[in-house]
Amino acid sequence: MRTLPARYVPSGPTARGGMSSIVFCEDSILERRVAVKFLQDATHGRRMDDELAALLKMRSKHVVQIYDICRFPDDCIGIIQEFVDGPDLLESFAPPTSTNAYYKQLWQIAAGITDIHAVDVIHRDIKPNNMKIDPEGVIKIFDFGLARDTGPAAATVGFVGTPGFAAPELYATTATFTPAVDVYAFGSTALFLATGTLPPELAAFPPRPSPAGYFGAIGLGLGAEVIQLLDACLAPVPAARPPMSAVRDALARHLLFNMHQALVVFRGQPSYLNSTNRNIALDLPTVGRVEISYDGLMFRVTAVTGEVFINNSIVSAGQSLPGCCVVALGSQARRNNERAFITFDLSHPEIVL
Amino acid sequence: MSGPHKPGDLIGDRYEIRADVGEGGMQFVYAAYDRLIGRMVALKTPKNRSATKRFKRSAVVAAKVNHPNIAKTLDYVRGEGESRYLIEELIEGQDLQDALLRRSGCLDPFSTAKVFHYLARGVAAAHHAGVVHRDLKPTNVMVVGGYSLTEIKVTDFGIAKMADEELAEAAEGGTSTMTTSQTAVGALPYMAPEAIETPRAVGPPADIWSIGAMMFHLLTGAPPFGSGLAAVRKILEATPPPMPSFLTSNPQFVPLAREIADIVLLCLQKDPSLRPTADDIVERCGRLCYSLDQRAEGTVHRIDYGAYGFISCDGPDVFFHTSSVYGPRAAQVGASVVFASYLGGGAYRAHPVVVVDPPPTAA
Repeated sequence: MRTLPARYVPSGPTARGGMSSIVFCEDSILERRVAVKFLQDATHGRRMDDELAALLKMRSKHVVQIYDICRFPDDCIGIIQEFVDGPDLLESFAPPTSTNAYYKQLWQIAAGITDIHAVDVIHRDIKPNNMKIDPEGVIKIFDFGLARDTGPAAATVGFVGTPGFAAPELYATTATFTPAVDVYAFGSTALFLATGTLPPELAAFPPRPSPAGYFGAIGLGLGAEVIQLLDACLAPVPAARPPMSAVRDALARHLLFNMHQALVVFRGQPSYLNSTNRNIALDLPTVGRVEISYDGLMFRVTAVTGEVFINNSIVSAGQSLPGCCVVALGSQARRNNERAFITFDLSHPEIVL
Repeated sequence: MSGPHKPGDLIGDRYEIRADVGEGGMQFVYAAYDRLIGRMVALKTPKNRSATKRFKRSAVVAAKVNHPNIAKTLDYVRGEGESRYLIEELIEGQDLQDALLRRSGCLDPFSTAKVFHYLARGVAAAHHAGVVHRDLKPTNVMVVGGYSLTEIKVTDFGIAKMADEELAEAAEGGTSTMTTSQTAVGALPYMAPEAIETPRAVGPPADIWSIGAMMFHLLTGAPPFGSGLAAVRKILEATPPPMPSFLTSNPQFVPLAREIADIVLLCLQKDPSLRPTADDIVERCGRLCYSLDQRAEGTVHRIDYGAYGFISCDGPDVFFHTSSVYGPRAAQVGASVVFASYLGGGAYRAHPVVVVDPPPTAA
């Protein structure tokens, strides 16, 4: 047993994780409970340091915080982490009570993984028992497979207990981890959280996801866009999987259904576009006219005639608005007093958990 | 270098002092290199050795909060003798006062909405963790990216407990100590009435008042009840402050400015129990329509017919219409301005535009 700095006083049982052991301690200086994870740095080096530095800097509501590290002479690193007092998503499984409750679970996980990917780290071991629910009901991802290169085919030790979450490409003899590995594991996790199980072909070695998809049949009344994206997460080919941020954003749109708002100011006249006022027409007679509608998820151009530009690009019906923008009626060939500029600003509604 | 340390000093076998980055009312602040992890950190140590005990309490309390809009407390080190150190995330920016208010007085409503929203998120996370800041003011809000507001972080939760004690003593000492305590003078324009009347019994609503007072300042260019001694009476009366006319005269900005003002006035209610919670403010701010565009700086070099003009800056000239100018100062030829620009067809188009003092010239 390696000796921890005296400030960390062991306070509970030692747990053995897949790749390492964990000691629960009280940090007597900052007076908080921590989980210390011991990890052998097999790469001896830079990459582990880079990943740890990134995680130490990250602030995500949905990822367990890494507070500090300690180094031991035998290339072992002790990672001092936030202790989350709550059950994991495997042991606390219960079927979703509503579509929104399910969206909220998935959105939190997708947000956490997106935050991890945003600092150029791959989690490598996304699965329901690596996520905990804290006392405020917030889901937090933990137990990174730091700097690990080997998949289940190469390291059977690391892969026990929860088959079905490792992407098909990891079963090749030379496996490489990419962010798409986390996206696949997210897809499996999402399916597990809906049904409490995984179909046999996904639990197989290697998994063989059905091209027919899974999420249309789980019966939770999911939106078509969400079904399509979740099914795409389980695509056998990594390049066919969506970026995690796209999944997060789609889930956010559905959670915020009818809660978005746009403020449109046209010649000094403000109007709001929202769930009670879904359509607006901006018209400069003989020059240009555009109609914009809110469908509960997005703001879209529904009709356009004449000279209409959004952020200086030509507009076509059906296109969605690129966030806050300026709509111009009248081309730049016209004089300034023959043109109109309309500001279009969007709200930033919060997802309340 | 001011304070007890010089570059090269090693604290706790780990933190190597690199530079002096300023001095607060109650503490010295250094930039230090964390040798164990290989990163830069902020290292703070109290000026007043008798405050040591409260300093430790502050660190413990501050370490409970984890949020992107809060400067993170990383460690606490017991040095030789009575010396104590708090290690905090180093923020490469300036405080709200230095970064923004000193030159512009006010911000455009989009920027104010963003600061309001982000500050409320950070303070909500703190309140969920049972932590009250007690000393929220522009110099305790750090900004990265200047007017573009790339990052916004509340800092000095670490000295909240300490500041609390000094503020309580100052308030109990009456107006004479109120105006001589450096900490109290900076905090006063943003202090809740109960923080002056019953300083030892303030809770989360006092932070809400302070956020409201700061946002009033950002939106209008001045704190709601003035500063100095005269502010004390006005804060205790808590009569809703009038909004300046530029806030309601330009239809381009009226809807957003008015919505922000409505939330601000809810925060500035004398009865703490009537104020919204930080969660309520986050929710209300979520309904505000504001853009997150980068800001640029330039100089107005031409105005035609008093209606529109052009700004010269790094890059091609930017067109602006005078209806896009927010604030008490008009954009005249030669004025320094901060603005966001859109592709407008032909020229870039600026919106919103705020007149600021010229950038400080290198001495």
